[in-house]
Amino acid sequence: MPGDHAFDLKKRRSHRLISWVEIPLGYFSDSMAGADPKWQKDAADQNFDYMFKLLIIGNSSVGKTSFLFRYADDSFTSAFVSTVGIDFKVKTVFRHDKRVKLQIWDTAGQERYRTITTAYYRGAMGFILMYDITNEESFNSVQDWVTQIKTYSWDNAQVILVGNKCDMEDERVISFERGKQLAEQLGVEFYETSAKENINVKAVFERLVDIICDKMSDSLDTDPTLMSSGAKGQRLTDAPQGPQAANCNC
Amino acid sequence: MNEEIDESEFYHQDFTTASEWEVFMARIEEIINQWRVDDKRNDSVTDVESIWDIKTEKLNFAEEQFYLYLYSKRINEDAALDDKGPKNPIDTLHDFELYDENHIEYHSCLSTWYGLDKFIVLSPVSNNGIVNESKIKVLLSSIYVVEGNLVTSENSIPLFVQIREKWQRLYLGVFASDVIRTNFEMVHLKKGLPYCNYLSGLLDLFKTKIASPCVLENIIVSAQLTYTLTEFGGFVWKQDLLQQNYDIESLFLLPFGVTVDPISSIILKATWNHLPDNLVLDSENYTDFDPTAAMNWSLLINSTNNPVCLMADAMTEFLQNLTNTSTIYDILGDFATLPSSENNPLDLLTEPAVPAISRLLTRTARQSLTRNKRSNPPLSETMLVPMLYFLFPDADEKSSFPYGREEREHTESLSQAQFKNLDEEFKGFKTCSSDSLIWRLSIILSHCLQSLGGLRAFAHVWYEFVQEMRYRWEKSMPIPGLSPGLPDLRTCLLNQKLQMLNCCIDRKIARENALVNFDSAENSSTDDEEFFDCSEKIVEEKAKEKLSLWNQPVGRLSKFGNLKLIKTGDPLYIPVTQEPVLKTEDQLEEDTDVLLQLGSNAEAMELRARIMSASLLSDMESFKAANPGSAIEDFIRWYSPRDWIEDEDKLDEWGQKAGHLSPRMLIEDNIWSEMWLSAKPVPAHRQKRLFDDTREAEKVLQFLDLRSVSQICELVIPVLSHAAIYRLMEECESLASDLAEFPAKLSNLIRKGEVLTRESKPQPRRFEGLIHEASALEMLVSQMNSLHYKLNPSRSANGEINDVVVALAMGKEVRVENKSKSDIGNRIVSMFGEAQRMSSLMAGEQFDEAGRGTVNNAFPVPTAKEFVLRTNAVKPAVYSAKCPQFMRAILSKEEFRLCGAWSEDTVFF
Repeated sequence: MPGDHAFDLKKRRSHRLISWVEIPLGYFSDSMAGADPKWQKDAADQNFDYMFKLLIIGNSSVGKTSFLFRYADDSFTSAFVSTVGIDFKVKTVFRHDKRVKLQIWDTAGQERYRTITTAYYRGAMGFILMYDITNEESFNSVQDWVTQIKTYSWDNAQVILVGNKCDMEDERVISFERGKQLAEQLGVEFYETSAKENINVKAVFERLVDIICDKMSDSLDTDPTLMSSGAKGQRLTDAPQGPQAANCNC
Repeated sequence: MNEEIDESEFYHQDFTTASEWEVFMARIEEIINQWRVDDKRNDSVTDVESIWDIKTEKLNFAEEQFYLYLYSKRINEDAALDDKGPKNPIDTLHDFELYDENHIEYHSCLSTWYGLDKFIVLSPVSNNGIVNESKIKVLLSSIYVVEGNLVTSENSIPLFVQIREKWQRLYLGVFASDVIRTNFEMVHLKKGLPYCNYLSGLLDLFKTKIASPCVLENIIVSAQLTYTLTEFGGFVWKQDLLQQNYDIESLFLLPFGVTVDPISSIILKATWNHLPDNLVLDSENYTDFDPTAAMNWSLLINSTNNPVCLMADAMTEFLQNLTNTSTIYDILGDFATLPSSENNPLDLLTEPAVPAISRLLTRTARQSLTRNKRSNPPLSETMLVPMLYFLFPDADEKSSFPYGREEREHTESLSQAQFKNLDEEFKGFKTCSSDSLIWRLSIILSHCLQSLGGLRAFAHVWYEFVQEMRYRWEKSMPIPGLSPGLPDLRTCLLNQKLQMLNCCIDRKIARENALVNFDSAENSSTDDEEFFDCSEKIVEEKAKEKLSLWNQPVGRLSKFGNLKLIKTGDPLYIPVTQEPVLKTEDQLEEDTDVLLQLGSNAEAMELRARIMSASLLSDMESFKAANPGSAIEDFIRWYSPRDWIEDEDKLDEWGQKAGHLSPRMLIEDNIWSEMWLSAKPVPAHRQKRLFDDTREAEKVLQFLDLRSVSQICELVIPVLSHAAIYRLMEECESLASDLAEFPAKLSNLIRKGEVLTRESKPQPRRFEGLIHEASALEMLVSQMNSLHYKLNPSRSANGEINDVVVALAMGKEVRVENKSKSDIGNRIVSMFGEAQRMSSLMAGEQFDEAGRGTVNNAFPVPTAKEFVLRTNAVKPAVYSAKCPQFMRAILSKEEFRLCGAWSEDTVFF
């Protein structure tokens, strides 16, 4: 990613500090603190107000990668190579006059990858839990996935249940009502989508961002200390501890 | 021309312009009128915390700034109903109100003294006060004029001006209704006239001051005597009391409580209300005011100023060391040697068997020989060894502190607690489970830092801890007190690191066991041999049939259902695979950084897939090794069943459903098929290790070893905060009385702690806030403990005492029902008596006198006396109406204060 100069610079700088001790400390302190606006503008990565980390999870071949490509690149291919481990895409959206950078992680659905993918659950603010309306098994696994989220993520992560491939009416085995009912039971919102026909894809992401924003302003209302500590444009690695401390004060 | 104009200008006087003084008074009137209007509108914002409704305006006069305050008390609705029209504000039965620190505002003393529910105060902004006599007069005139201008038939409000030095709390005031004017006057002296120290003198003063032309009515007298108890004798309470016989086990709990008695004094107020003046006598020689015969008793406590709260203090030590960047080796100097496995000081301790005393002794001897003699270890052997046994109870067979013990006890003791499940409350904490290894370590470290030698002791314990970790890794002994399993990202980093080390140790043991098994299998007894022969024969037969020798199946775990290999028809076996790669959160972050740095274009995606594919390749190789002759279809059926699409009603030659790969697995050059082609049949145990436990363990040990003091504090603070809040909760639970505020305060604390523990680095400011709140609660708990100890030494269950303790701890004055006949009253009397005896013994007075004193009166000389005198007097003329007169005298060691309110008829005079 072009914007990760922050990372580079930090590393290099500390190295130099060790080797050339005579360089006055103040020399670096400005840009270290990220206070240099010019430097920030240079880095495209820093060009946002908030960053949300989202995860798409669900059984293998329910269409997670297609869904993400439809949203991020507005493209669709009938077959993507099955995801190995974990991958991500970035998209910046505008919400309430703020640039929100979405870092969306796409996960492998295979059982064998559970240990790898669940490690990334921490710090995710939102989950898109996907099943395939033409596949009973993927629907039956939803409860397991919810358990996984409960186990491995912070308790305030937001979840949306998505039934994908709704264009394939002929092969449908999970009715809209069943999906809806399950979502109500789980206390999450529900959408049926089609990455192929581009149905509801954008809506799901927008809704998820909205829910996260709402949640965030709630917790800010109750804890003003979060507001003051808000450093802008925090990087993912700075905020592995979930939305509460992630300064996403919108 | 010019001259003429100048002259006329010079002599010109504009009599229409108001003077500054007039403007000032007009401004006051304006403000007060505005308040009245606001009042009518009745939309005042209610600030629930105070019983006072205060409005403020700022105004200037003669280069001095003033605040004008309106104080109005929020009165209960039923009290407001009593209102029978206009009444003089001092014409009440107000004597003494129960003190409540929550109801105190800066000027609310006026209400305490005069019983006013609503008044206006003019007070200078600067702290110098209004000292100049003429200034005072001008201000006084101003308020007289204003009050006079604002007279209405109803809701006139007394108007005060604060004069002299501010700390004196000296006010003058006036109240004017359409029939009566009342002047409020005050005297404040350091010491009163001797003859005013008793009621008789004050009565004289009162009568003289009224100067009524007629004979006075009876004067109603109320009195309050204050006794202060500062010597608690045998009932001094402090935390150390419980630890009198110093015990090493006290180190195993977080320090808690205060070092001095949190109650500095108990104040008893004996009150008499509304007595006619001719029925009581109080003079230098004789007094009717005997506290045991008082009408009412009330209690109040003074708390000690800023006592050291042990737990908060321990936490503060950590806060201060957050900036300390020196390493453990810097601090320990010569004493610590850089890690070497040979000379491990814990060799003996960590041996599985219980070390004999003689061996411990030789160990000490050895230490004194090998170690540099100039530097003594910061912690002596006698201290260190029990601590290490506490941390590692598995080294001691008879340990009284095994892990997992607390849990059982808690479920019993806290079953009826407000917080049903403590662990549930702390679910959001990113720390570790209670009473685990790190939990105990944080407690030990806090003791070291606080009282066992400070930073050096702290460093010593950490050093020994790390040495022990290294030792356990080298000797393949699991670390106790950690929840089993993979590093749990929901716990704190230190816990993850140790869990990681434990996993490494487990795998090391497993590896070593596998080797041993292999050896034993080679030269094992006949039973085993038979079995091996048997199984090998089968394999060999098959091998002869289809396979060449080099690709005999290896590393099979179990059959995978009834599936058969597509090409050969052999059963499909699940291979033994490599254990998953373990990561702690900091390593995960590094990985994430690497992935993110690649960017999000197509090449980056492919690169990421390659990076992630190591385990896929390993699994494929294991699979190939376990299933000779297998194809990618076979692998996919096990690994990603959804990518195998069964053809309906079609069976292959082996009688299983035929099918084909999903389109995405058939994409050309996709990573899955590429990998499959490059994978060689290698069983998991012969593959390159994906997770090198030796290297990872060494990383963890290095990590622990090279922590600086500040980094250790960062690692420990989350756990320490958790343990501290936990301890506070336990203390609150074990209190004899419940405080309504506790659950709210604790929940608040938990919420703060939760945020703190989730930060990647604990923010000093946030930690400081937490300490602050925790110490306030610690103090409160200590106070309540102290009060219980004093007032209820028998610890009998007594709801009444509990209520009193709660109220006292909250800074409220409490009425003692039944006075000395009640349990509390009885305790108070005996405590006063004891203090009296002690002091007379100390003073070495004649025994007779002291003895008599205690028999007759257990109480010392009152520390303060307060009298309220009131009557109605005809003033100023014989034919005037009766007007209320009031005087309060406050006599104490610090001050002598007279607050008078003198009324006179303004209609008939």
